[in-house]
Amino acid sequence: MVWFYLERIFGYWPVLLKGMGMTIGLSLLSLVIGVVIGFGFGIIRAGHNRWLSRVLGLYIDFFRGTPFLVQVFIAFFILPVIGIELSAFAAGVVALSNMAACFIGEIVAAGLKAVPSGQSEAAIASGMTRAQQMRLVVMPQAVRIITPSLVGQFVLLIKDSSVVSAIGLLDLTRAGWLIVQSVPNGLLVFGIVGLGYFIICYPLIHLSRRLERRSQAAFL
Amino acid sequence: MIEFSGVNKWFGSLHVLQDISLTVAKGEVVVVCGPSGSGKSTLIRCINGLEPFESGRLLVDGTDLSNRKALLKLRSEVGFVFQSFNLYPHKTALENVTLAPIHVRRLGRAQAEERGRALLEKVGLADKMGSYPHQLSGGQQQRVAIARSLCMQPKIMLFDEPTSALDPEMINEVLDVMVGLAREGMTMMVVTHEMGFARKVADRVIFMDRGAIVETAPPERFFTAPAHARTRDFLSKILQH
Repeated sequence: MVWFYLERIFGYWPVLLKGMGMTIGLSLLSLVIGVVIGFGFGIIRAGHNRWLSRVLGLYIDFFRGTPFLVQVFIAFFILPVIGIELSAFAAGVVALSNMAACFIGEIVAAGLKAVPSGQSEAAIASGMTRAQQMRLVVMPQAVRIITPSLVGQFVLLIKDSSVVSAIGLLDLTRAGWLIVQSVPNGLLVFGIVGLGYFIICYPLIHLSRRLERRSQAAFL
Repeated sequence: MIEFSGVNKWFGSLHVLQDISLTVAKGEVVVVCGPSGSGKSTLIRCINGLEPFESGRLLVDGTDLSNRKALLKLRSEVGFVFQSFNLYPHKTALENVTLAPIHVRRLGRAQAEERGRALLEKVGLADKMGSYPHQLSGGQQQRVAIARSLCMQPKIMLFDEPTSALDPEMINEVLDVMVGLAREGMTMMVVTHEMGFARKVADRVIFMDRGAIVETAPPERFFTAPAHARTRDFLSKILQH
């Protein structure tokens, strides 16, 4: 019986593959955008302009403190009300990269604050501009500190991308929903879907653990 | 070279620099001592703008410190050595030394490295160019830090308790470098309690207490015949043994 279902499920391999492609593509695109904006957020959050930092902090806390499903609905159903019409894919990317930027921003800010103040003082004393202090001295050290948690955040992002199936995007989760309509064995179908996510995430989890060990070894 | 006139600074209600007036000439070596919290570190941190101050005037190499725009340029002319070294842990000794010359002075990499190697050799670290700070002893790290400042070819060198974080057996290797520098005619202000160093190379010793300059004298007079009771009291405490 199991074999019979398995055969039928794998008969849908083009859908599964397409779903997996969507999950990877959506996650990767949002990851890149999220990292770029997230580093910007982090620099502002750890920066000297207290007012700007506080306003941004409020924004970040809002998205860290609301369910991602709600954020996806905001992007897809509410933005059109104020005249921003987004395709399901674009809405998914916007919601996902925005959330990633918020979490990454706080990680980056924490990393920047963890670099001892003597480091930026040494850079200041040698006549570097603020941008040079950041680029040459502080950021490289912060990146080493935060890389493990950053990679951990990537894993969360990939898993959270499953929520976009709710607005009709054909990602891995959605592929599961479609297949389960004609192959009535949810355990098997979503077992395979879960395995798909695991295959994407496991190398990252592994990488994060290795980086963690290495960053503990550095600076000693 | 350095000219304080009526400089005042407060940390909240704490008056950390009280009406400081002081002139340091080119080539002069001035040692600043005093009990902790007397404002001596704050004093030299003002000179390269690491600490702002509230009133008074401070001229360094002809630049008015209130001119924030000229500050970057000035800082590249003033070397600063920290108590805790503050070497860049992600860079090798040579990279530490050449970073600012390459990016601030816009020196070519080859030229900066040539200069950096010569300086690391001069401070006795020819065999440590490729080492990272965590692979070096405290004394070696501080010597790299001095070379790092010198590589900018500064007109003034400031030292903020450069030997206070070192194990006793490493203090002399750092002081030797500083003595050499003083003899070459570098303008130096040194916050330290190393009175042997002060005796050997200082032109003047300044004693600070509670944010004010209490006494200024050549080392001979400073150690043998201090004019103020507070100076005598301080000296009796640090020279007891």
